[in-house]
Formats: sequence, C-alpha cells, structure tokens
Amino acid sequence: MVPLSWYLALSAVLFTIGVVGVIIQRNVIVLFMCIELMLNAVNLTLVAFSRFFGDVTGQLFVFIVMAVAAAEAAVGLAIIIALFRNRETLNVDEADLLKL
Amino acid sequence: MQLENLNLNYWAIAPEIITSLVGVLIMLVDAFSKRGARKPNAIISLIGLVLALISVVMLWNVGSGSFFGKMVVIDPIRIFFSITILIVSIIAVLLAEQFLRDEGLPPGEFFALIMFGTTGMLLLAAAGDLVMVFLGLEISSITTYVMAGYRRYDLRSNESSLKYFLLGSFSTAFLLYGMALVYGATKTTNIEGIRKAIETGQITYPALLLIGVAMMLVGFGFKIASAPFHLWTPDVYEGAPTIVTGFMSTAPKAAVFAAFLRVFVGGFDVPVAGIGLQLHETWISVLAAISIVTMTIGNVIAISQKNIKRMLAYSSIAHAGYVLVGFVTGDYAPVAFYMLVYSLMTIGAFAVIQLLARAGDQRTEIADYAGIGFEVPQLSFPLAIFLLSLAGIPPMAGFIGKFYVFKTAWDSGLVMRYLVVAAIINSIISVYYYLYPIVVMFFRPLAPGFVKPRVSGAAAFALILAVFGTLYLGILPNRLLNAMGRGMGGQQAQVRVINR
Repeated sequence: MVPLSWYLALSAVLFTIGVVGVIIQRNVIVLFMCIELMLNAVNLTLVAFSRFFGDVTGQLFVFIVMAVAAAEAAVGLAIIIALFRNRETLNVDEADLLKL
Repeated sequence: MQLENLNLNYWAIAPEIITSLVGVLIMLVDAFSKRGARKPNAIISLIGLVLALISVVMLWNVGSGSFFGKMVVIDPIRIFFSITILIVSIIAVLLAEQFLRDEGLPPGEFFALIMFGTTGMLLLAAAGDLVMVFLGLEISSITTYVMAGYRRYDLRSNESSLKYFLLGSFSTAFLLYGMALVYGATKTTNIEGIRKAIETGQITYPALLLIGVAMMLVGFGFKIASAPFHLWTPDVYEGAPTIVTGFMSTAPKAAVFAAFLRVFVGGFDVPVAGIGLQLHETWISVLAAISIVTMTIGNVIAISQKNIKRMLAYSSIAHAGYVLVGFVTGDYAPVAFYMLVYSLMTIGAFAVIQLLARAGDQRTEIADYAGIGFEVPQLSFPLAIFLLSLAGIPPMAGFIGKFYVFKTAWDSGLVMRYLVVAAIINSIISVYYYLYPIVVMFFRPLAPGFVKPRVSGAAAFALILAVFGTLYLGILPNRLLNAMGRGMGGQQAQVRVINR
C-alpha cells in the first residue's frame, strides 16, 4: 500500500506548481488552469486523509470543492470573455488601466 | 452520526432560506416582467431582506446551539454580524435602483446577485464547520466577482472583476489547502471538534496543524485585505461600479471577519500546554504584526491618493488593521460593533460618491469635489459626517467603535498596549486624508463642469439610514453595547465561553 506521506508530498508538489504558475504565467487562461491545479491538489490531500482516517468527511468536502470549482470556472470564463471582447488580449500585463 | 443527533431545525437557517428563495423569485419575476423593469425587483428584494432581518432577530429565541450536524451555529457572533450584513444589503438595494437606471444596465440579475451574495455571507457568519466556511465564502465571493464586472462594456470594470477573480480564487486555494491540512491534523472539520482536539492534545501531526493554520491565515488575510495581501484592493475598488465597491468593502468583509473570528479565536486559540500554547503565542504575535503593518500601509498610502475611491480603498485596508486589534482580546463584541459602524459609514460614503460621480463613474477625483459643499448640501454634509466618522471624531460612531476596540485591547494586557499605541498614532495620521476632501468641498472655488446630481427617493432614504446609524451609534451606543455584552441566555459574551 502506498503510504500517506507520498500522497501528501504529491499534492504539495502539485500545489506548488500551481502557485509558481500563477506567479510567473501571463496568459489568463493558463493562470486560471494553475488555480484549478491548486484546487485539485487540495482535493488529493483531502481524499488521502479521508482514506487514511477511514472518515468520510474529507470525501464529502471534495464534492463541495468540485461543485464550487465548477461554478468558479463558469464565472471566471465569463469574466475572461467580457475582457477579451473589449480588449482582445489574454495577457494580464496588458490589463493595466488601473495603476497598481 | 445518528440521524437524531443531526438536530434539524429549519428556524435556525430561516434567514438564509428567505434570502435564497427571494433570489430565485427575483429571477422568475425578471423573466416574466417587461424588459428593464426595476421597481418590482427592488421591492421584492427589500421585502426579502427585511423578513430575513426579522428572522435573524428571532434567532435570539431559538437559543444558542449548533444545528444540522453542527454545520450551522447560533451564537451572538452570528446574530450581530448577520444584522450588519442585512443592513448593508438593504442600503445597497435602495441605492441600486437609481444606479441601474442611470447606467441603463439590466436590473434583474443585479438584485438576484445581491440576494445570493447575502445568502453566502449569512452562511459564512453562521458556519460551524470548515466546509460551511468554504461554501459560504465562495458563494459570497463568486457573486461579488460578477458584480464587480457588472458594467460589462467598461474596461475598468472588466479589469477590476478579472483581478478580483484571479486573486480571490488564488487566496481561496490557500485557505482550502489550510483547511485540508487542519483536517489532517485534527481528524475533523468541525470548529468545535478542532478546539477539543487541540485542548486534549489529540493531534496526529503538530507540524500539519501549524502549516494549516498559517495557510488559512493567508487565505483570510487576502479576503479581509490585510497587508501584505492587500495589493488587489485599490485596483478592484477603483474599477468596480461605486455601489458595488461600497457593498463589497462592507458586507463580505463583515462576514469574513465573523468566520475569521469563529475559526481562529473560537477554534485555534486554545492557550493550554503543548501545541495549543505554541499556536496561541505565534498567533498573537503574527496578528499584532499584521495589524500594525496593515494600518500603517493603509494610512500612509491613502495620504497620496488623488482618486476618492482609491483613498477609501486604502482607508478600508487601514480599518481592517484596527479591527484586528480587537481580535487579540478574544472577545467578539468590539469586532462586531466596529464592523457595524465601519459598514454604515463606508457604504454611506460610497453612496455619496456614487451619486456625485454620475453615469460611468466620471467624477471620482478629489479635485472634482471642489466647492460643491454649499451647492449640494444634501450630499456634502452626509459625506462630511461619514469621513469624520471614519477618522474617529467624537460625536460620530467611528469614535465609539475605535474607543471600544482600543480600550478592550488596552485592558487585556501589557503586550497589547504597543498595538494600541500604534493604532492611535495611525488614527491621528488618518485625520489628514479624511479632512482633505472636506476642505476641498467647502473651501475651494466650484470645479468646472459641475452639474447638480439627481437623487432618487430610495437613494435619499438609504443616505438618511446611514447618517442616522452613524450618529445614533455615536451618541447613544449603550443599548447595542449592552445587548452585545449580555450575550445569550445569561452567558458571558466571550467566544471562548460560548464554544465550550
């Protein structure tokens, strides 16, 4: 049987890839995919713990996370389409009307 | 878990049921009414919000406890924060009618979004479990992402919405990872259960707990816009339609503070020997550091702002810092009172800015306010009252809010006194930039191109409500403070006592 720590290490690596991706990528769609990757890394952690403890709470949590991630994807893509219609670019660096 | 232990009680979630059903009803009414009809939607959502407010007050009679398998709790935190959220939503609905007419935007979705967002915030304030915290947070966040981009053809609105969405979901992922690790450390997602696990030392891996708590702190820090996670705030607040800025800088923030309070003070902050004490000491010092940095950055950068929406964005960052001072005491009442006061004066100020800015938010520079003081006294005097209240000048509620928070922190021990001194120095700095727009309004010649704005009856009523609240809580705060101090059923008002 694969020990718990392997799952945790894998999900930590996936989460880190997501975080680094959000920081260095400039395409909105890729940014969005990196965020989804982070959420899925969390799902893996929850399922691993749930299986390890023999407790169903973690798996129920995963269902809620998946439902929310779907809703978030719908809203996120709608926002990206609205921006693309007005500006015709997917590069976040060009969304610079408001100074930081 | 046995079915009879679930404790199903639909009265316990009556406010949430009302707001979500009214949201669905608004969408139906909008589908069948003629295009662009605003009145019916506004009236239905107002009725819904008032009914929800009544049912929140009636929760008092249900009594404190936890329901639906400990997913939802009733305690003073929930009741007072829910009242704040619903009052802000009522004011937002009253203002929305004129906003939607002036901008020619579709009305149905806006009211439905306010109702669904309010549902999420109420759930967040009621959450007794990390699952509910996540769900409530996401319902309220997703609706505010959409509302920030509601002016669909305006690039600034698009940008604000995109930035809010990307950084919001990024921070949610952190919060969620923290929750997963806390679950791994304590074998439960229930906040009360986490507290018990820490108290009895039944932690599987202490390191997981510490990392998880740190991750959750990052997630909550983003949502309340505390430094160093505040960078999204000014851009998002400037680009969103002003009424949405007013709404999202108050109601969701109050809801997140309620959850933050319940999870951190009620769940993690257990000063017993071992991991609990270690967590407590780290938490207090990290909190103090975040609080000082947040209010200093907010106040110092606000001084140099030319745009009044950006200035208020930095001011809201600073106020998040003041509220965090209240966290160190472990008492919910100063935080709840401060959030109510802050919400009233902030949404009031944004309401005036909305009315003065005209369609498309054209006039939001402070220079545009020159000389309007005696031209439109019905707007300039309320704005002056809100700004003075934000600065914490005595007859206004902002003073009592700050006084209450600082006094409680001062009394709670020597370590916290540095924090209070820093907060007081910061409030003195803030007086400068709050007074500046007032000076510009009353003592400068009239700006060119000024047209007297039209104020609808509903918007005027919303303003009166905010002004009345600001003055009433400033002059006669006793009744509310006593109600908070009493707690429920003779219990003490401390979060700790209630959760035990």
